[in-house]
Amino acid sequence: MATIREKGYSHWDGALVERKLPWWPITRTGIQLAFRRKHFKFFFSVSFLPAVVFLVGIYISERIEDFKFMIQGSENLIKINPAFFKTYFTNDFLLFMMVMLLVFSGAGLIADDLKHNALQLYFSRPIDKKDYFLGKAAVIFFFILALTLVPGLVLFVMKLVFSGNFKLLTSYPWLLPAIIGYSALLTVFFAFYTLLLSALSKNRRYVTILIFAIYIFSDVVYGITFGIFRSPYVALFSLKANFQQAGAVIFGQRLPYAYPGYLSFLVLFGICAVSAAVLHRRIRGVEVIK
Amino acid sequence: MSLEVKDLHFSYGKIAALSGVNLKLDGGAAGLLGPNGAGKSTLLRILLGFLTPAKGDGKVLGYDIRHQRPLIRRSVGYMPEDDCFIAGLDAVSFTSYFGELSGMPRQEAMKRAHEVLFYVGLGEARYRLLDTYSAGMKQRLKLAQALVHDPKLLFLDEPTAGLDPHGRQEVLELIKDISSAKDIQVLISSHILSDIEIICSDVVILNKGKVAAQGKLQDLRSIDYSLFELKVTGDEGLFRRELESLGCRVDETEDRILKVYMPAERDRMEIFRAAAASGVQVRHFVKSQTSLEDLFAQTVGVD
Repeated sequence: MATIREKGYSHWDGALVERKLPWWPITRTGIQLAFRRKHFKFFFSVSFLPAVVFLVGIYISERIEDFKFMIQGSENLIKINPAFFKTYFTNDFLLFMMVMLLVFSGAGLIADDLKHNALQLYFSRPIDKKDYFLGKAAVIFFFILALTLVPGLVLFVMKLVFSGNFKLLTSYPWLLPAIIGYSALLTVFFAFYTLLLSALSKNRRYVTILIFAIYIFSDVVYGITFGIFRSPYVALFSLKANFQQAGAVIFGQRLPYAYPGYLSFLVLFGICAVSAAVLHRRIRGVEVIK
Repeated sequence: MSLEVKDLHFSYGKIAALSGVNLKLDGGAAGLLGPNGAGKSTLLRILLGFLTPAKGDGKVLGYDIRHQRPLIRRSVGYMPEDDCFIAGLDAVSFTSYFGELSGMPRQEAMKRAHEVLFYVGLGEARYRLLDTYSAGMKQRLKLAQALVHDPKLLFLDEPTAGLDPHGRQEVLELIKDISSAKDIQVLISSHILSDIEIICSDVVILNKGKVAAQGKLQDLRSIDYSLFELKVTGDEGLFRRELESLGCRVDETEDRILKVYMPAERDRMEIFRAAAASGVQVRHFVKSQTSLEDLFAQTVGVD
C-alpha cells in the first residue's frame, strides 16, 4: 500500500554524507554553466583544430610515401619528435583559444558569485574556502586539460599506433612526462590567472576584458620594450613568451629567447603565488553575513 | 537545548562587538532583535562558525562552535538577508545544488528540491531561470535552499525583507508552519518587530554587544514594567519630569499621546499624584497591552 504523505513540507528521511570530493558539485555546475553560454560549443570545438591538424601530420608522417606528391620535399618535413609536440603546445592559435575558453568558462566563476552574493550560501554549507577554490579551479582544469593533456596524449598514442612500434617511447622516454608536465603548468597557471581576475570585479564583462587585455598587452609591452632596450630579458613581460620559453625547457628544445629558462618559471609561479595571496584576502568566509 | 552560548566575547580590533553574551534557546521560534551595531550579525557569524570568539563557549544543536563547525553547518539552514542566487541556473538546479553541497546524494537532492520548491510556492516556476525571478520569488527561493537538506535549526535573516504584504503574510505562514508543526527550530533576526511577534515565542534583545532582554515574549511583556497611555492638558514638561523622577520612561506619539513605561513595583496612582503635583489634567488614561515595539523601545532605549 502506498504511503500517504502529508501535503506540504515533509522531512527528508535520508542521511547526509561527508563527500570525499566536496568541491565536485561546484566543478560540475561550473562546466554545465559554461556549455550553456552562447557560442561556447562553437569555440570549444574550434579549439581542437590544432589537435586535428597535428593528428593529420602524424598520420602523414607514417604514410610519407603516399603523400610524397603533396609535400614535394624532404622526407624529414614532418618528423615526430619532442619539437613536434612543443610546437603543438606553444602555438599561438592554441594559446589564443585557451584564453577564449577562459573568457567563456572562467570570467564569471567568482565574479558572478560576488555580484549575486552567492558566497554566503556556499560558506554556510559544510565546505571551506579550499573546497570553494578547488571547485572553481577544477572548471579551468577541465577545459585547459581538454586542450593540452588530452590531445597531447592522443597524439602520442596515435603516433605509436600509426607507427606500429614503440620507437617514440624508447627514443624519448621523458616525452610523456614532458607532455603531462607542460599541460599541468599551463593548467595551474591559467587557473590562478583566471580566478584572480574573476575575484577582482563583480562584473563579468570587466573580467573578460582583463583576461584578454593582460594576455595581449603583456605581449605588446614586450614588443615595445624590446624595441627600446633590445634586451631579451624584456620577454619576461610577455605571458606568451614565458609559455614558449618554459615549453622549450620542458620539451628539451632550443630556447626561443636568450635568457635562462628558469626565469620564465619564476615569473609564472610568481604570478600564481600573488594570485593565491590576493584570492585568500578577497574571498573570506565571514562575508557570509554582512 | 538547540542553542547555548556562555560568556561570549568578540571584538573587531578595539571595538567590542559582543561582551559576555549568555544565551539559551530551546525549541520553537526565537527572535533576535537589536539596533544596528548591537551584535546580531556577529552572534550569527559565530553561531555559523565563521568567527572564533575571543572568550566564551557555545553549542549549536550540541555541536561545539569552536571545534565542530562543519557539523553545525550541515545541520543548520541559513537564509541570508541579501538577494543571492547563481545566474544561469533554474530554481530546481539551484536548490538541489546546495542540497548536494550540504551532503545530500545527487538524485535525492534533486527530488527534494522539487518538494521544497512546491512547499515554498515556487512549484510552477521551478524551471525558470533565476535571473528572471522577482524579489518575492528570490526570497522564497532562499528559504527553499535553506530547507532543502532538512535542517534541524534555521537561521533566518530578515526573511520578509522586500516582500509585498501578501507575500509577507505567506512567508510568515510558512515560517510559522515550519517552526510549529515541522519540528524545526528557527532563529529569526529581523527589524520588523511585528513579524517576530507573529512567529516567535522567545525573544532575545541585544544592545551594545550585551543581552538586554531574553525570555518568553509573554513574560517579557509583563514583568519589568507597565505601560499606560495618557492624554493631558497643562504643563506637560513639568509632568514628564515628575514621572521621570519616579523612574518612568515617557514617550510622546505623533497624536500627542504620552506612553508611560512604569516600573512594575510602582503604583499607577503615583501617575495621578504626579499630575496633581504638576498641575495637569489627565483627560485619557488607559493601561495598554505592551507590544514588542514597546518592549524593544524600553529595553534598548530607542523609539
